[in-house]
Amino acid sequence: MPAVRSVGDAWFRDDRRDTLHVNQTGRNRAEEESPVRNRLMFSSAAVAAMLALSPAARGQNAAQQTTVADISGVWQVTKYQPKLFPNGGVPLAPWGEAKFKEANPETNDPNLGCLPEGIPRFMFVPVPMEIFQVPTRVVIIREGVQALRQIYLNRQHLKDLDPTYSGDSIGKWEGDTLVVDTIGFNDKTWLDASGLPHSEALHVVERIRRVDHDTLVDDVRVEDPMAYTKPFTAQQVYKLKPSWEIQEYVCTENNKYTYQGK
Amino acid sequence: MRNHLLVFTATAVLLQLSFAGATYAHHANASFDMTNSATVKGTVTGFDWTNPHAYIYLDVNGKDAVEKWSVEMGSIGMLARAGWRRDTVKPGDEITVIGNRAKDGKTFLRLSKLVFASGQELTTTVQ
Repeated sequence: MPAVRSVGDAWFRDDRRDTLHVNQTGRNRAEEESPVRNRLMFSSAAVAAMLALSPAARGQNAAQQTTVADISGVWQVTKYQPKLFPNGGVPLAPWGEAKFKEANPETNDPNLGCLPEGIPRFMFVPVPMEIFQVPTRVVIIREGVQALRQIYLNRQHLKDLDPTYSGDSIGKWEGDTLVVDTIGFNDKTWLDASGLPHSEALHVVERIRRVDHDTLVDDVRVEDPMAYTKPFTAQQVYKLKPSWEIQEYVCTENNKYTYQGK
Repeated sequence: MRNHLLVFTATAVLLQLSFAGATYAHHANASFDMTNSATVKGTVTGFDWTNPHAYIYLDVNGKDAVEKWSVEMGSIGMLARAGWRRDTVKPGDEITVIGNRAKDGKTFLRLSKLVFASGQELTTTVQ
């Protein structure tokens, strides 16, 4: 079974990483280089210490000491799925159908212009991604056109979101499953390489779970009443690649394709 | 001509893109004939070790003149995981490339397998 760790452990680990800048004189390098930063760090540490020593906070911490699954690591899809509906049967609504007819993988796939994949396509790209976990966020970096995805664990969706390629992802742990809710998309991305469209009303819910040490599963639910007559689901399975590192990928370095979309 | 080796074989299944990682394109494969494989032998004139694709450039002796071929591969990150390096091929190397030709008939190929003059082979498949 996957290892679990507490939120508190993750904080301690991050704190240690931040304060290990000690030179031979024993002084903190941050203190020498940036008194302001050091004061901030000190006050953060003081606040943390006060919270930790407070009996009320101790009780609260104990109550909130939720364990989270460890989904960190480099993951690679087990199977490339260019089409979410390989056998047809896409429940396209009239608006979606019209948009789908305009889609041409040879001319107006946003990928041709090195534009971001958006969600859920980001999760289906067959180059590796690495997941990082800190208490307030799950961050995914990947090789490929779109380098970064952030999933916020400590807040609700922001109000009056600007539509973006990746939308606004918030997550919460339900047992060992990270449930990710994403809205706030623009309509410039495709859901898959076949050109399945979506509107700004796209709502994606993912359930990400490490089913065994080497296997991660993302169950995806897509809802967009403008483009589709009903919600639909998809699944992507990943294998852990402990010896791989994420490599640089500058898509515009030598892109010989021309994006003719808008 | 002796070196004009452009052999199309109807191997619909053989070179269909199974999941191979390094053969993934940041674009769709719609512009390549994925139902037939092509084999081309030529002399390397250049090698772009770049993203989103690496390219090999070949001079191929055609019927009447030298044909200029471009051979496309995947991203260099995935190619490296499949055993490729920035000096895997060098100008002057005699190589054979096997892959899928562009549907529009251009001298453009999407690579599946490289065969060196020594007979040694290199694919784009990541284990």
